[in-house]
Order: sequence, then structure tokens, then C-alpha cells
Amino acid sequence: MKILEVKDLTVKLDNKTILENINFEVKKGEILAIVGPNGGGKTTLLKTILGFIKPYRGKVEILGLPPKKAVKTGKIGYLPQKNNTPKKFPVSVLDVVMFGLVNSKLSKNEKLQKALEYLDYVGMKDFKDRPFSDLSGGQQQRVSIARVLVAEPEIIFLDEPSTGIDVVAQESFYEFLKKLRDQKNITVVMVTHDVGAVAKYVDKVAGLNRYLHFYGSPKDFFKKDILSKLYGADIELIVHSEECVTCEHFRFKTEDKTC
Amino acid sequence: MLDVLTIPFMQNAIIGGILLAVLLSVLSIFINIKNWSFINVGISHATFGGLALGVYLGVSPISLGLAFAITTGFFIGYISKKGNIHEDISIGILFSISMALGVIFLTLTPNYTSDLFTFLFGNILTITKQDIYLLVIFSIFTFGYLYFFFQKILFCCYNEEVAYTSGINTNFYYYSLITIIAVATVLAVKLVGVILASAMIILPAATTSQMFWHYKKIIITAVLLSIIIVFAGIFVSYQYNLPSGATIVFIYGIVFFITIFVKNIIQVIQHGSS
Repeated sequence: MKILEVKDLTVKLDNKTILENINFEVKKGEILAIVGPNGGGKTTLLKTILGFIKPYRGKVEILGLPPKKAVKTGKIGYLPQKNNTPKKFPVSVLDVVMFGLVNSKLSKNEKLQKALEYLDYVGMKDFKDRPFSDLSGGQQQRVSIARVLVAEPEIIFLDEPSTGIDVVAQESFYEFLKKLRDQKNITVVMVTHDVGAVAKYVDKVAGLNRYLHFYGSPKDFFKKDILSKLYGADIELIVHSEECVTCEHFRFKTEDKTC
Repeated sequence: MLDVLTIPFMQNAIIGGILLAVLLSVLSIFINIKNWSFINVGISHATFGGLALGVYLGVSPISLGLAFAITTGFFIGYISKKGNIHEDISIGILFSISMALGVIFLTLTPNYTSDLFTFLFGNILTITKQDIYLLVIFSIFTFGYLYFFFQKILFCCYNEEVAYTSGINTNFYYYSLITIIAVATVLAVKLVGVILASAMIILPAATTSQMFWHYKKIIITAVLLSIIIVFAGIFVSYQYNLPSGATIVFIYGIVFFITIFVKNIIQVIQHGSS
């Protein structure tokens, strides 16, 4: 079942073309990673999908609706790249998760129980009464995920979810996303520069640099011609591989080179 | 000393002052978490143009002051959302123009004598029964609005984009909050004047957020502290024949710096013992 459709999408900002003729579809329960070089239009694409930016041409449909109508259904979750929350924002961890239920018709007590359940799900229940602003980047990310999930969305959008998290936390975060999809059948669309994460955890990859140079399964993505088209140079890309279990660290593998 | 409570204009001053203290200190949390201090300074100064135009035309200065304040608030809000011009620059330009217009209107007003000083620095002793009714009605409206929408407004302050994608009409809450703050600021002009009105809405939560981290405690203590300070300011100004508005704001300032000083001392002691 199609849950997101991007058709003939062209986006211009200040008369400069950022995205051109983008077409793809995401099915329910898929994990899609949008990758590409800096300035390639990844975040612009996500913001256009969510309705923050008006397309120059083409259309976007989420759950069969245009973005501005789709957000009103409450079935969309969004985790932005930077947490633009003002410093020392005076709320507790529990308050942040409760934000996810502001439109809910549940009673106050039911909301509280649900928020606690999702805090438990992300392993942050013990922090419920702590100031949100005192948490580390990774902990804030988990709480924000709980805030997104508590509203029980059908599709979630994540912009650079691994920013500010250390490598170990990144790994467990991607594992967590996979668990989420397996257990709750939630569709995940994430923008990431962390190409290494792509191979291991996602179903589909969108290689974006103004044009959509690639859309397909991760194993086909790491081909040299696709990568050089996408990144504009004859680069050697490094990929986390589950095969490299003997290595001390995650090592990398390309078509030509394995560890 | 308590005999002042029997003087009718002092009764109006105390009731009006306390009502304002409660209203402004509750709104103060939003000014502080959104970093809207300069927006508020802009709104309060822009009010002066409207007040002066009212005096010049012989119509209600407060009504025109309100119109100027709300228009300025909307305009600043619009500019800051669009992001084409930095909001501090637009605020600086807007309130300078409005203050300049105010001075021109008052100079052009025939037989104009004394209201300029009252507009700029306020006079709590001129608060009338009518002002108090207006304050009561506006406070009921504001607290009703906050009772129903507080969590949604707080969510918008937390992250507007995230709130929008959660199905919240962020524009409605943004502009309605700016309008409420603009109206509250104009009402504060009567108490402390155009120059000092923004202090009444910035300082309460700025002070109590030094003591507590959670918004509920910040608001409750801001309300209690403001009531005490306004009460103290009125008594001190009456006792020593000082301007009431300036006395109140000065006490706010002193309490703010004492709070920061004490907080730093406590932190040094805690770090020293750990």
C-alpha cells in the first residue's frame, strides 16, 4: 500500500533550482533513507514533503492527501534535524512526550499512562521527571522519538537523526528504528549523511543531488557509477557490513575493497 | 502606614497593580522562553505613537495605543516568520518611527501640557475604576484562553515545525499570543509607562526561572513575587514621594540581580562541597 508519493517534483528557492523532476513512492512499513552530498537538497525534499516549502512544480501526497491536509490527520511524526527548542526550555521529559498527545481525546490519566508506556519503550522512563534540557543529545533523541510515537503515527520523517549522537548510540538508534518498523509497521523516511547506516538498516535508498540519481535497494546503491554520479567524484565509499564481525571496529567494504 | 488603604485612589492603584502583576507575570513565561523581550520593548514603545495620535485627534488614546501595539505585534510577527529582514532591525525601525510620530503629534497638539511624562513613565495613581473593569475582563479572557490552549501554545514554543506537523494550527496560536501580549503591554502603560511597560512582562519569569526549571513553578512564583513587588513599590513610592512605576521596576531589577547573585553563591558552595 502506497503511503507517500512524490511526483514530478521541482523545487526552486530564490529562483535557484534545488530539486528537479523527483519521482518516487514509499510503501507502508518501508524504511527509506534519503542520502546525498551536502547541499544536494535532502532537507529541502523533506521540508517540501511536509508542506513547509511550496513546490515549483509537481505534487506530494502523504496518506493520499496533500501535505497541509495530511498533517492535520495527526498520523504524521516528524523529528527535525536540529532541535530548535530554546535553551533551558522549562519542561520535564514527561511533558515533552505529553506534547505528542495534545490533540488526543483521551482522559488526563490515560494520556499519562500512554506517555509512560512509550517512555519505557525508548528506555527513558526513569528520566520522566528530569529537565529535558539536561539530557544528552542521544537521550533527547530517544525522548523525541517517544513524543513522535505516542501519537501513533503511520509514517515518521527523521532529518539527520544521528546528528549529535555517538557511534554506539547511532547503532542502537538504527536498530531501534528497525524494531519499530517490525513491531508497529510504521513507515520511516529519514534523511541522513550517514551512508554507512544505509546498507544495514533500510529497505530503500534515494540518492539525491538535485536529481534523484538512484532509487532502489541498498545493495544496488553501492556501485561505483551511481556513487560518482551522486557525489560528483570518483569516490570510494565505505559501508558498515555485518560480515566484518572480526574487526575491532565497524569496517568498510566497497565493490573493490573489503576488510 | 495602613491608612493608605483607605484612600480611594490608592485602593484603585493597589487593585489595578495586583491585577496587572498577575496578568503580566503569567504571560512573562512566554516572553522568556521565546526570547521575545525585544519584541515586547518594540510593542510598548510603538504604543506611544498611538497614544499621542489619540491626544492630537481628541479620541481615546488607549484605543489608538492598542491599535498601534497590535499592528506592530502582527507586523513584527510576520517579519520574523518570513525571515526576510532580521526581526531586531524591523523592531528597531518600527518603534523609532512610532516614537518620532508620537513626539510630532504631541508637539502639534494645541494646549498640550502634561501627559507626555505620564505616557512615558506612567502613574499608577491615575488608575480608574474603568481601568480596573477593563483589566478584569481582559484577564478573564486571557486566563480562559490559556486554560484551554496552554499545552498547545507551549508545544508551539517548544518547536513550531514539530507542532505544525502534529496537526496544530501554529499561526493561530502565534498571532493570538502576540495580540494578547500587545494588549497586556498597553494596559501596563497606565501603570509604568511606555518606557518601563516591557520590564513588567520580562522580569517576573526572568527572575523566577533562576530559581526553578519547571514552567509551573516558574509561573506560580512569578505571580507571587510580582504581587509582593507591586505592593511594595506602591507603598515605597507613596511613603517617599517617588514615581510609582519607576519604583516598582527598580525593585523588580534589584530582586532580579539579588536572585542571580544568590544562585551563583549557592552553585559555588555546591561545587565546593562536591
